[in-house]
Amino acid sequence: MSSTTPAVIMDNGTGLTKLGFAGNDSPSWVFPTAIATRASASSSKPSAPSKPSFLSSSTSNSSSKLSGGNLSSIKRDMEDLDFYIGDEALEAAKGPSYSLHYPIRHGQIENWDQMERFWENSIFKYLKCEPEDHYFLLTEPPLNPPENRENTAEIMFESFNCAGLYIAVQAVLALAASWTSSKVTDRSLTGTVIDSGDGVTHVIPVAEGYVIGSAIKNIPIAGRDITSFIQTLLRDRGEKDTSLKTAEQIKQEFCYVCPDIVKEFNKFDSHPDMFAKYMVETVSKSKIEVDVGYERFLAPEIFFNPEIASSDFLTPLPTIVDQVIQASPIDVRKNLYKNIVLSGGSTMFKDFGRRLQRDLKTLVNERVQQSERLSGTKSSGVAVQVISHKRQKNAVWFGGSLLAQTGEFKSYCYTKQDYEEYGPNIVRNFSLFSVP
Amino acid sequence: MLQLESTNLLVQETFANAFATDYTPVSLDRTITDFDFTTYHVSTPETKTKILISISINCWKDLAKYGVLDLLTSKYSKYPFIQILADQPEAGYHFSLYIDLEQASFENEEAKKELISELSLLKRNCFAAPFLKAFDRYAVLSKEQPADPNNIYGEDSHHNTNEEVLTINYRDLESIYITPSNDRVTVIFSTIFKDDTDQVFSKVFLQEFSDARKRSIQKAPQVINWHKEIPLEIRHLEKENTDNKTYITFVLFPRHLSTEEVRWNTITHIQLFRSYFHYHIKIVKCYLHQRMRFRVSSFTKILNRARRDVDEEEMRAERKTASGRRFEMRA
Repeated sequence: MSSTTPAVIMDNGTGLTKLGFAGNDSPSWVFPTAIATRASASSSKPSAPSKPSFLSSSTSNSSSKLSGGNLSSIKRDMEDLDFYIGDEALEAAKGPSYSLHYPIRHGQIENWDQMERFWENSIFKYLKCEPEDHYFLLTEPPLNPPENRENTAEIMFESFNCAGLYIAVQAVLALAASWTSSKVTDRSLTGTVIDSGDGVTHVIPVAEGYVIGSAIKNIPIAGRDITSFIQTLLRDRGEKDTSLKTAEQIKQEFCYVCPDIVKEFNKFDSHPDMFAKYMVETVSKSKIEVDVGYERFLAPEIFFNPEIASSDFLTPLPTIVDQVIQASPIDVRKNLYKNIVLSGGSTMFKDFGRRLQRDLKTLVNERVQQSERLSGTKSSGVAVQVISHKRQKNAVWFGGSLLAQTGEFKSYCYTKQDYEEYGPNIVRNFSLFSVP
Repeated sequence: MLQLESTNLLVQETFANAFATDYTPVSLDRTITDFDFTTYHVSTPETKTKILISISINCWKDLAKYGVLDLLTSKYSKYPFIQILADQPEAGYHFSLYIDLEQASFENEEAKKELISELSLLKRNCFAAPFLKAFDRYAVLSKEQPADPNNIYGEDSHHNTNEEVLTINYRDLESIYITPSNDRVTVIFSTIFKDDTDQVFSKVFLQEFSDARKRSIQKAPQVINWHKEIPLEIRHLEKENTDNKTYITFVLFPRHLSTEEVRWNTITHIQLFRSYFHYHIKIVKCYLHQRMRFRVSSFTKILNRARRDVDEEEMRAERKTASGRRFEMRA
């Protein structure tokens, strides 16, 4: 019967979890990957001491004090059933009796106890489906250790008896999502994925569905940094409201990428109507007006000129992309330049793709000219193309939905029978989607 | 806590948004699922302000036999802006409601909330039909022949043996059987466990139902658990238990059927039983896994304690290859 039910796509990211069914164009649920548990219960759980303290400062003190003591005694009451996930968790954590945890750190699952309960609640409560009736597509970050895959499979098959499981690499799904763009003519799984979320930006080269692990690069600039950059600009100017939320709203509504900063400054000075106003509604229902000025184009600019915001990371994004592709095998480089795909919320700025394409083209053309000069032969040229599309924000989830609604999807999954026959290590390899 | 709710949160959210005053119409095309092979499809086929919600249920044929259409019509026909497409539902689905948002008007917020919750309870309403039918039959029977007050052990009287058993094949091999009689309504679930260990958990879990009744909650319906053996009430329907099914019998007493409100409450809870049951078995397993992980990590700690601290200098001196080269020590 599970052949007729839609597959479930679960994309658990560091910040947000995207849940939904195959065939839909947007995830049914998007909420924080957070779980709120009873504050006292967390002390008896075996939490690794080496973990960075992600609890709120007050609870981490109390829990670390307690966990040093009687570790052997687990309370045998209902505490393990008392938890909330997602938005409800954030709500519950405001009270005194719950503490908030983020089971995923840097894209990888760190706390399996919490993750198991998070899944349990998201499947039954939010998606309302019986896992025995559905196939599941989960996502994983690039370079996820195979042990993590095995753990995931163990939970999905042994706790939930799910009908079938496929674990896909996020970057590959992001590539698949780009097929909706009109610029994409051949549906290949080769390309460079720029995945920029809230915490970190990855540049990932993918060749025929395989991630080239040795060439992946991370950039410590992402959505959060842009927001805090806007916030500092607002503070420097002495605006009346400089909260993080205001900065975030300004980022989403007003920011865009400009082709040239100097010209843009001039444009702003000669056309005062470029300055925008943002209305903040305060708790007391009074309205505050915040001026939005140069940060409209300066904020996204930190991808291209990081020195305006940070002092420790100074390589612009186009250079990083170029380095990544240069570090990949030579026979796929042309295709990697030709298919650069954006994914994640922080790539949503207007003209982000166009600017990246232009800067990258300049870099590449310079190199091509240099080699032509040195060798004296004519190069056939390298095409650089950055692909933006409408689904960028939830690209990974959307790619999963796209692939999981195909008829062949279920033949790529492993079923419970396969798992019992071969054991957890079966999930170390998944056959790739054959590309039409 | 871990109570399953019979409202579908996604349907609820969709309509809560759609009926909000500041709603900007968007085109929708969404598939939403629910337990027991129920699928909803929310779409806007013609214009953005007209939402079509369709439901497909695995056992629609059985439900239709027991008058689900009449029930749904009575539930939703009081809203003039909802068009019930009972005869020609959307292709591939069994029942459709076409909601015109432009025509929608409510007396107050309460009425709006009520409609939203009625829409999100569409599945429950569908499954309610056979239960209501059985409850009505019980009302007739109990009038004809009032329950014998001397029958304190709840023995079956002979008059009821010929009563029709309402059957819902809600999953492929699993069914719900409902038998009305003059002093009770018996509901029997048959369920299959894909995993043998699940069956063991289920035994413990079901034992808890009967124990709870003994201990404190005397108002709860009586629960009888049959493994492999087919209950007498339905032995004429199911000849052989070939699929290793488990049967769970609920006996609903008059107090569970007294008023309209109590009846709906009973239906809401009992029709979710199978999902609830399987859900909790899974929770038990999650909990066991947690404890196992904890055990392993505490044992590893003990083992690590037993490890001898070797002096690093000493180690460096010891580890040499045949040619006399040393290993590079890593932390």
